[in-house]
Amino acid sequence: MPEVMSSEVVVIGGGVIGAAIAYYLCREGAEVMIVEEDDLASGASGACDGFVSLQTKAPGPHLRLAMESAQLFPELAEDLDVDIEYRRCGGLLLATSQEQMKELRGRAKALKAEGLEVEILAAGDVKDFLPEVGKEVKGGSYCPLDARVNPISLTLGLAKKAQEMGATILRGCKVENIVVTNNRVREVHTTAGSIHSRRVVCAAGVGSNQIGKMIIVDVPVLPQRGQILVTESREPVLKTLVAGAEYLGTKANIQALMPADAESAKLGLGFTAEQTASGNLLLGSTREFVGFDNQTTPEAMNAIARNALRYLPWVEDMDVIRSFAGLRPCSPDGLPILGTIKGIRGFYLATGHSGDGICLAPVTGVTISELVLDGETSLDIAPFSLYRFK
Amino acid sequence: MGSEVTDETNGWQEAWEAAENGAVAVMDCHEEIPCNPCQEACPNGAIRVEPHVCALPRLDPGACNGCGRCVALCPGMAVFLLDRRERNGFARVTVPYEMGGKPVEGDVVQVVDGEGKALTEGKILKVRAWGGEAPTLLLTVRVPEEVALKVRGVRYRLIELDEGLEVENAPPLLDYPICRCEDVSLQNVRETLRSGVRSLLTLRRATRVGLGYCQGLFCQSSLREELAAAAGREAWKMGSFRVRPPVRPVKLGRLGGENA
Repeated sequence: MPEVMSSEVVVIGGGVIGAAIAYYLCREGAEVMIVEEDDLASGASGACDGFVSLQTKAPGPHLRLAMESAQLFPELAEDLDVDIEYRRCGGLLLATSQEQMKELRGRAKALKAEGLEVEILAAGDVKDFLPEVGKEVKGGSYCPLDARVNPISLTLGLAKKAQEMGATILRGCKVENIVVTNNRVREVHTTAGSIHSRRVVCAAGVGSNQIGKMIIVDVPVLPQRGQILVTESREPVLKTLVAGAEYLGTKANIQALMPADAESAKLGLGFTAEQTASGNLLLGSTREFVGFDNQTTPEAMNAIARNALRYLPWVEDMDVIRSFAGLRPCSPDGLPILGTIKGIRGFYLATGHSGDGICLAPVTGVTISELVLDGETSLDIAPFSLYRFK
Repeated sequence: MGSEVTDETNGWQEAWEAAENGAVAVMDCHEEIPCNPCQEACPNGAIRVEPHVCALPRLDPGACNGCGRCVALCPGMAVFLLDRRERNGFARVTVPYEMGGKPVEGDVVQVVDGEGKALTEGKILKVRAWGGEAPTLLLTVRVPEEVALKVRGVRYRLIELDEGLEVENAPPLLDYPICRCEDVSLQNVRETLRSGVRSLLTLRRATRVGLGYCQGLFCQSSLREELAAAAGREAWKMGSFRVRPPVRPVKLGRLGGENA
């Protein structure tokens, strides 16, 4: 006979978003239960890089959300018992053509207007940040507030702290159904039994569409595969985050910054590089729609390596020790889906973060916790409503 | 004697020269596996296994004091000491000895090369023991200089001996790196298992075991044993590390090269 449980709030999903929401809810004294199908950080949060990048966000609500999130990281790093390896290391966005430079200049202007510090660099200035860059690099932009974090430590750290504050974490527990009566969420049926709860948060990442179906709501989140190469560990060689302008092109769908050749365009190839605290270089990445297939492919690995050599030729003699792929919960416009559902009280969406889940986790945690407990948020989340797509 | 020195990449020429002033270690290691006890053994930091744990050890003969710890601790018996201070055509070579019998100073033994072929006869000048219950013996034998670099061991007749050996007592090993690539200790893994972790992937996320240069190739079986001990009958659920290409480390230049 399955057990009958109850909780003030049920958070579906033990990724970085679910863990952050649970953490901030617990800080407000709420009773929280995280229901995770597999294990903490077993999905996209455990298969990504650690970019906390501001200059790659779209000027407007998206950037404001990210800037708010960036401010929360230092405090989190203090409060969590796990070292989340948070460093405000700065980030470079490199252009390989004058057209890309022009686009970056325009963008930097828009970002500055929103209050973000961004500097345009000539090809010569880029050398101040990197040991050596490829001949194609024509310059770029630099944002000193860009940072990096260990996404797995962040997720585990948030969950651990939430647990210490009283949260229950059900691992290996799959949500099978959500019971709604009189326009209100009442119960969550799981493989570990029923949970009575009047507040349910969907932070299920790529599983959100499936969860939405249970309450007959279409949550437009598709899995987008991102492949990443891992090199051997080296002494510190990369101080900042580095990305190519094409990374921004494929992320924000900017025509002027799209990869030139057909194969790269098909893979959604955009260069990213970061050196983790353990010394490994993470080189990325791709944006592919291939369903729930999270394997890495030789074509993409070759393409990522070739692309990396274009920007940072000196990585040539480094050993690649592994590749991995994560499925990003991709929304139609690449922005998160945050907020309530019309006609069903007590159901909240916090999903569709696309490639920004790590960066936006703290602000999502704070905002959703406010929404769940107070019914209103200090930040305007109307631009992230599910109903913007209709 | 310079003609004897063939493997200059391993610092043999330098070691040969430094040995004129006393004992110095010579590394004869060709195994690119995650293994670095020699680096840990050296009190002077003269041995570096860099840039990663699978690299071959490099010795700085200037910093080596000839203590022989690395000779005793190398699990592959791939280190020996060379001492040419006699400067009379003879050299003293110190090799590890882990066979039965109780060697004693003054004995004349057959000196053999890496393939077990007899090179010459030599006299044991010194016997030292390093380790706990089953110590590794370090035998110093006197041999003609021209064969000194070829010596890898001695062949010894069993001699019954009444007196016990003086054994340098090393403390028993309670903790050691179970994952050498990421330097994760056994105790750290056990502590994580006590917190309820029951799968290899979760263990990896929590501790970084298996995330290093060898990608868990070498530590996976030990980790399974630890998991099985902690999980008991649940052990079949522990899963395995997700195997992702490349199977072996590959240079980025090659992966992204024109022919790739």
